[in-house]
Amino acid sequence: MVAMSTAEGAISSRQRRRLPADRLFLLLPIAVLYGLLLVAPIAFIVETSFSAGLDHYRGVIETPLLWRVIENTVVISATTTFVALILAYAYAAALWRAKPVLRVVLLSLVLLPFWTGVLVKNFAWAALLQDNGVILDLLRAVGFDTGGLSLLHNRFAVIIGMVHYVLPYAVFPIYATLIAIDWRLVRAAQSLGASFPRAVWNVILPLSLPGVLAAGLLVFIVSTGFFITPIILGSPRDMMIANLVDFYAHQIVDFGGAAALAMLVIASVSVLVIAYQRVPKEGQYGTL
Amino acid sequence: MGRSERFGRPLLMGGALAIGLYLLLPSLVIVPMALTRSQLIQFPPEWISIHAFTDYLGDPQWIASTLVSLKVALLATVIACLAGSSAAIALQGRRFRGQAIVVGVILSPIVVPLIVLALADYLFFVQLRFIAAWIRIGLAHSLLVTPYVFVTVQASLAGLDPALARSARSLGARPVSVLRHVTWPAIRPGVLAGAIFAFAVSFDEVVIALFLQSPEATTLPVRMFTSIQYDLTPKIAAIASLMLGLAALALAAQGLVALRRKQPQSS
Repeated sequence: MVAMSTAEGAISSRQRRRLPADRLFLLLPIAVLYGLLLVAPIAFIVETSFSAGLDHYRGVIETPLLWRVIENTVVISATTTFVALILAYAYAAALWRAKPVLRVVLLSLVLLPFWTGVLVKNFAWAALLQDNGVILDLLRAVGFDTGGLSLLHNRFAVIIGMVHYVLPYAVFPIYATLIAIDWRLVRAAQSLGASFPRAVWNVILPLSLPGVLAAGLLVFIVSTGFFITPIILGSPRDMMIANLVDFYAHQIVDFGGAAALAMLVIASVSVLVIAYQRVPKEGQYGTL
Repeated sequence: MGRSERFGRPLLMGGALAIGLYLLLPSLVIVPMALTRSQLIQFPPEWISIHAFTDYLGDPQWIASTLVSLKVALLATVIACLAGSSAAIALQGRRFRGQAIVVGVILSPIVVPLIVLALADYLFFVQLRFIAAWIRIGLAHSLLVTPYVFVTVQASLAGLDPALARSARSLGARPVSVLRHVTWPAIRPGVLAGAIFAFAVSFDEVVIALFLQSPEATTLPVRMFTSIQYDLTPKIAAIASLMLGLAALALAAQGLVALRRKQPQSS
């Protein structure tokens, strides 16, 4: 045992090694798969987007529609992120402080939607929010004059559906930072004279901010990619960037324009993903 | 315990349960809507009839789409299991130069927006028309779900002592039998969990399948998406409830796999 651990110590003290040949052989299937189905298809996007020099890019950027759609995407994604973070923080805090039985209930409630497809959820929301759907019926039943109120095919419906979809993505990073925090910190703050709300506000909240930041970026990244929800729950005025790519490809059959747009999407998502990777992850700031 | 702490707790738990209800609400209404006697989606539904389910089962187009979806998900899952598990085995244990980059690339399909992959796959497969449409969709999905298998297999390998494989080799085992008798038993739960997740993701995927569809290869979600835009019918509610049942089954199966995985460690 002693001999073995010194041998391993010698290996790790050397420079990081190359992967041996038999391991490289095991990487062959995934290399072929990614080469054929990730690198080659993306290369086609790059090639198609530059097939007319910079004209496809120029054409896309000069369309007033693009700026409307970018504004929609940013506003809808930011609203979704904001609402989701508030709900997710409360939910994660409850998960953290709950007794075991309630914790299992709350965990399964947040896991089941993770497994349900986006279409099934959107269909249910459309049925709930439509003009003779459950929610308006309930409002009328309690004597509320709904008049010409319409809940479906507007931005409100898109945000309800999107928050519902992204909530699990927000809950888990926040929960992960919270459980790494020692609850005795609150007691310590109280023993030094802080009230309970003040102890939570000044101790727990700052310690959990890295998780909130990670959750916010993740939710924002996921939100900008929505395609199905704006179509089913929104109106044409809620068109988001993914819908515009589809519009270029299928409605006006301009694949050069679609590819140029896709390149813009890749560029902006890359920036967000790099930012996300720089956020300290769970527990790094939360432990004592 | 101060007043705010005593009242804060029930408030927090009550709030969380309200959010939980919001999370559960769509799943709660789908099955009742499918059991209506009416031809329309309405609430409360006129109970009780299974005509929506028989409508679905009697419609050759919807059944054909279901079969396409099953074939696509199966193909994607098999490819993802092979590529994802072998990559996880290759990267097990030792650290090497460029490891972070390799892992980053393997996980990258998760963060590439679906619309980008869908357009890229469309432009790519236009060049390869001789491949049947359902195989194109299955191939495109296999890339999407490989990271999930990689992650679950990697997690199950984390518990495997590299010394085991080393001692098997030093006792004269060939690489193939090390793989079969040491590595495979260790990764089996991870492969299974990853396969279930991969199948579920592929079976639900709409955007790529929409771009790569053809008249003979329209997946179930694509057909649902197209028909939801025109009308909300009990038939779609019936299919949605079947998909919901499938999701619940998958969740339960993963729970079982996770429980099994824990047992050997505790003994």
